[in-house]
Amino acid sequence: MFAALYAARGSSCETLLDVARDFSPRIETCGACEVVLDLAGLTRLLGDAKTIAGELRRTAADRGLRVRIAIAGTRTAARLLARDRAGITIVEPGDEARALENLRLEWLEIFSKPEPNEPHEPHEPPDPGSRIPDPLTVTLRRWGLRTLGDFAALPADEVAARLGQTGAAWQRLARGEDAAPLVPSVAEERFEQALDLEWPIEGLEPLSFVLARLLEPLSAHLERRDRGAAALHIRLHLVKRNGVTREVHERTLQLPAPMRDARTLRTLALLDLESHPPSAAIDRVVVAVDPTPGRVIQFSLLTRPLPSPEQLSTLMARLTALMGEGRCGSTVTVDSWEPGAFEMASFAPRDSHDARSHAPHRLRDTEIKNPICASVPLWPVSANSAAPVPRLAIRRFRFPIPARVRVDRGVPVRVVSDRRGISGGKVDICAGPWRSSGGWWVAETRAPYSPHVPHPAQSPHVPHSPHWDRDEWDVTLSDGATYRVFRERDTDAWFIEGVVD
Amino acid sequence: MANQALARLETALRDRRLDRTLTTALPAWEQRDDSTLPTGVAAFDARVRGGLPRGHLSEMVGAPSSGRTTLMLQTIAASTQRGEIAALVDTFDRLDVASAADAGIDLARLLWVRGPSISLGTGAAMPVRAGAAVSPGEPAGTDAAINRALKAVNLVLQAGGFGCVVLDLGDAPPPALRRIPFTTWLRVQRIVEGRDTACLLIAPHPLARSAGGLTLSLAARVRWTGDADRNRHLTGADINVRIVSPRRRVDGEICIAAFATTAHDDRPQRHGDTEPKFFTSVPLSLCGA
Repeated sequence: MFAALYAARGSSCETLLDVARDFSPRIETCGACEVVLDLAGLTRLLGDAKTIAGELRRTAADRGLRVRIAIAGTRTAARLLARDRAGITIVEPGDEARALENLRLEWLEIFSKPEPNEPHEPHEPPDPGSRIPDPLTVTLRRWGLRTLGDFAALPADEVAARLGQTGAAWQRLARGEDAAPLVPSVAEERFEQALDLEWPIEGLEPLSFVLARLLEPLSAHLERRDRGAAALHIRLHLVKRNGVTREVHERTLQLPAPMRDARTLRTLALLDLESHPPSAAIDRVVVAVDPTPGRVIQFSLLTRPLPSPEQLSTLMARLTALMGEGRCGSTVTVDSWEPGAFEMASFAPRDSHDARSHAPHRLRDTEIKNPICASVPLWPVSANSAAPVPRLAIRRFRFPIPARVRVDRGVPVRVVSDRRGISGGKVDICAGPWRSSGGWWVAETRAPYSPHVPHPAQSPHVPHSPHWDRDEWDVTLSDGATYRVFRERDTDAWFIEGVVD
Repeated sequence: MANQALARLETALRDRRLDRTLTTALPAWEQRDDSTLPTGVAAFDARVRGGLPRGHLSEMVGAPSSGRTTLMLQTIAASTQRGEIAALVDTFDRLDVASAADAGIDLARLLWVRGPSISLGTGAAMPVRAGAAVSPGEPAGTDAAINRALKAVNLVLQAGGFGCVVLDLGDAPPPALRRIPFTTWLRVQRIVEGRDTACLLIAPHPLARSAGGLTLSLAARVRWTGDADRNRHLTGADINVRIVSPRRRVDGEICIAAFATTAHDDRPQRHGDTEPKFFTSVPLSLCGA
């Protein structure tokens, strides 16, 4: 037995679903504000179909819903009757065809099409003249058929021969036969835990106990559903000291990989809150996660194992809390000639886990011919060495150090700096100047770059000036060290950029 | 009489190998293929029997322009190109990304932990530690940077999975390094012991080395070409490495030649491009001639 509920225009579809779930776990949402319930087993609880229908109407009315209810042996019959007749309609199993025989033919056209998003008043089928009718409906009217009973009385094989599969399907609808079984709608499951505290707490230490208490059942819930958390949302309801002012401190952590270990989630949450602490006492804690299917991992026997995403995310969170935002990760070169330009990126070694990243530089651009071995380096390990000859490197001062340089006939002869660690001295040998300039096409939007006075708003990652124009020298001083110095052509100021080491 | 008895006792103990302090012959170093981290410099790796020992703390020391950074980047490059991940705790944010790329480092496999960009001498850290928790009573400046770097190394080593972990204290003032308790290095050695990680310390002078690690004292002499300032350029350096390792018995010296790719006439190769961008740097000697 099935029951169809059809709510009037303006009704809350969520409320209708709640009413349906109160009676049966097997419900199907068939359209806007229309649900079908499987009443199997409900007769033992509530009684006969009339009692069940009465209970449904009373429950819906208690929640402010005006509904039409039809109970029949098939879903199709129940839905058709709920749309056509007001109030409660009950049809004994087996009488569906007889109950539907007087319904107008246009109902088949509506039921054969997908439901519109907006609910409409179901008391009358659409006026045949109000829209372009389906060609099949035109054909049936031309045959002199007006009701579902007329159509259902025709021989099925003749209808199929003349009208095809669609006609046969319409005839089954006219008889009240179900084309498919009820497909239960799965309620959206929320992975959320909340706790109201008896008195406000301050500090991360008591909060850690609260988070542990909330994350344990959340983790178990994820495990039951074989889900992992893709993002962790923490909402802390704060109460100010005056007890009146309230605000919500929200943090969202995007996790690098689906995870559900409660301890890891708690560690990440605490490390994030350590960097972004709430400003007042907390009296309510809500923790929610965005679920995602768990990942299937198959480790390779041929490559070196990497730390798990949980370990890496915990490490990165700890390092970020220790060193600061944007100070930990991997780096990438940028397409620029600007000295010292780079960008920081998140540290995700698994993204570069392919054979080409293992190859020497000269083979990086070659195509891997055997895709089966894509995860296996195709080059012997001994060939995977770095550059065969070491490349001389520079230790770069992120903020170049001002220097006093004595110049003789355009050549620096003495370099002195006030900074400890750079003793300076006479220039034994030098090379240059090498002129470098660029960025002059970028509009000047910030204060002119001054290396010895870093602008507080400047990014620590990329030299801040939009343009540069300088002459560079490589100099070896009497203290034995070799430096790269440069002279800003705009200001004629000298700076030490780095040490050749 | 007493001396003879003592000599007999020592002989007996030595024969039964009950007391290693009496044995003059140290146990033979059992070479395993995966027990060392090759640096990629064939001559050096052959000299030290494969490379830097894993599970031990080694150090690379020297004055500025001694080649420490060159060899450090070379080691990291060899590690990343073997498919390992490496970590560099850059105490004073000294890494030049272009030099790292030129050395062959797979930058995606290098975890770069950047300390404050301190210009030594001021003692004041640049305001770049946004959002980091500050403990009450924490000393400011250089000492704070070193403390955070040591904590960062601790975290990285405990996380595990890294083939090479480097702590760069190359620009730390000697007084600040002397203030580091010796127990700090014992803790680092204890953490790295038995792991598959080669830990490398860059410092101006020898600081700490585990028993099975190496101390590499570097000194370099740069090479120039050209006879005048305006046609001279830096071509490379000869890095002299003195190796100290009582346990591994690989003591000795070796000279490594390094070549400059950041030399100005090689600049078209920067960033992996062969074509200059919108302009090119031109030596004035050619422009003015």
